[in-house]
Amino acid sequence: MLLWMIQCAAHDNAANHATARKKGQFAAIVLANTQICREHFLLTLRLREFPASEPGQFVQVLCPPPDVAVQSAEQAVAGLQEVFWEPGTRPPRFHDPDFLGSQPYLRRPFSIAGRRDDPANAVSDIDLIYRVIGKATIRMSHLVTGDSISILGPLGNAFPVPEATHTALLVGGGVGIPPMIYLADKFQRAGIKSIAFVGAQKADLIPLHITGDVGTQASSNVREFAAFNTQTVVATDDGSLGNKGFVTQALEKFCESSAVSQGVIFCCGPTPMMRATALVAARLKLPCYVSLEQPMACGMGTCQSCIIKYRSGSAEDWVYKLTCKDGPVFNSADILW
Amino acid sequence: MNISTSTAQTVAAAPDLSVQIGQMRLANPMMTASGTCGYADEYADFADLSKFGAFVTKSISKAPRKGNESYRVIETRAGMLNAIGLANIGLERFISEKIPILERMGIPVIVNVPGWCAEDYADVAERLDQELPVVQGIELNVSCPNVKNGLSFGTDPVRLAELVAMVRKRVKRATLIVKLSPNVSDVAVTARAAVEAGADCLSLVNTFTAMVIDIEKARPMLANATGGLSGPAIKPIAVYMVHRVYTQVAKAHNIPIIGMGGIQTWQDAVEFILAGATGLAVGTALFIDPAIPNKICDGLRQYLARKGHGSLREIIGTLKTD
Repeated sequence: MLLWMIQCAAHDNAANHATARKKGQFAAIVLANTQICREHFLLTLRLREFPASEPGQFVQVLCPPPDVAVQSAEQAVAGLQEVFWEPGTRPPRFHDPDFLGSQPYLRRPFSIAGRRDDPANAVSDIDLIYRVIGKATIRMSHLVTGDSISILGPLGNAFPVPEATHTALLVGGGVGIPPMIYLADKFQRAGIKSIAFVGAQKADLIPLHITGDVGTQASSNVREFAAFNTQTVVATDDGSLGNKGFVTQALEKFCESSAVSQGVIFCCGPTPMMRATALVAARLKLPCYVSLEQPMACGMGTCQSCIIKYRSGSAEDWVYKLTCKDGPVFNSADILW
Repeated sequence: MNISTSTAQTVAAAPDLSVQIGQMRLANPMMTASGTCGYADEYADFADLSKFGAFVTKSISKAPRKGNESYRVIETRAGMLNAIGLANIGLERFISEKIPILERMGIPVIVNVPGWCAEDYADVAERLDQELPVVQGIELNVSCPNVKNGLSFGTDPVRLAELVAMVRKRVKRATLIVKLSPNVSDVAVTARAAVEAGADCLSLVNTFTAMVIDIEKARPMLANATGGLSGPAIKPIAVYMVHRVYTQVAKAHNIPIIGMGGIQTWQDAVEFILAGATGLAVGTALFIDPAIPNKICDGLRQYLARKGHGSLREIIGTLKTD
């Protein structure tokens, strides 16, 4: 009997039954690819029979082939760091004299920022929010409605779900904010109260729609979180929006001044920001889950490059864990920061 | 004997991709390259592994290894550098946790074996050979450039011959494959040493020792400083080396070659076969698409049919150089 079940499972897999799979390779159609703020874009993709996914999971995107359009010699630039473009426009298509250097070879990982399912038609729309930082994301920024790209996913583990009486504190830094939007959606459905804390260097680097005065307290003037009945505290390093300072400082201030009972922290952002959040969590004695990012080639647990040091047994003992497969979500207390 | 009729029927049907590598009969030449495909079924959700010709595991050492610090991988033009440091769970856990999965995959399994002294190789190889029938092939990783002194066996024909001879004595059943390092002045010299010492098969190439520098920090990008270059960037060199080994050593000794190095398309695969490879391994490209071996098989069948060949074996090493 057991053998029969194993054979059935193998057959399903061989028959490429997408509905039976937990993950796989999919062709995705671009529905929209719009700039949200400086350097950040929202890419919405439509996929057929995309397996169930959870907030915290990610996809590996094969960035599109080179576009041969060449602009004027004046616009030719050698270094990616020197590509500038006007707000509301896409990065310039440029003829790179070092043209091979502009071809990404591997896929790039992006957390899922949102998902809407249409079960009747077996299609799902997923949102990816990305920051243009290099050759692959420059390519992505040129995708237009109707383009097709290859997606591997959904990959990795998910954020845990706290008890209904707990308060979820969603802490996002810069391009680490996107998975928090998807998480706010899930927690609203689960009947768990969430408060979002978002931060960036400057106001124009927050990849969210600000609909009114955010002040320094929690407000409903951040559209993406308000859509899921979640209030948002905003912080910028330079004070150009919301609280002046790091988002971790805003989080700590909020927790100390408000009667947050049984808070649970969920965090994604740059590594120094997540390390700081883990320290705040330890001081406040709150559980804290972080979604880590490490350079990875595959996302499927084979290249063994996205390692993090994970506490094991005694205080000094550790093992390497893979961010892609064992994570990306970890309890911050388990990480050897 | 009605050979002409049966040949005609074969041509009319889909071309035969099966190949013989030592004691192993493979339904098709496509394998995974060690270190790019995990231990067993990591890619099961992304590709039908039962359609691969054979599965080659990552390197399995006698004791578990944590491997190198981060960064372990860096993308380059048309490829990548890696310095994983042979991170693996060790032989005992491999046998208890992964062998049962490999037994269910239904295709020949080749285990890649690294080592830091000849006994390391021989002990692991003997255990696999004697106790684990699912392991049909043993590939000696004599060329991993990432571990201290790892170059010594694969780049020195005398030490390589001693190692292969010692392992040969203790491997009675499985096909013994020696994976050659490309980091030598003439790969035919080490190829000959391995064959004369008893190797059943040669696989080549492993990665090329290379370096990428962070110019802002004036430091190497990889924690290990150097790494192995793989991907399409190395393919033309790998094709040349396969051809060199085929013409200088393998053809005369009737030793099959498993060719690898930047294979991503069926056209790449055909180049390696014409150059003299019998088997083929896909490595770095699996990170982008684990189903590439199956897609290459489709392409090979169409190519062979278009060229009027009934079998892949008809074109091995048929490169014209006159």
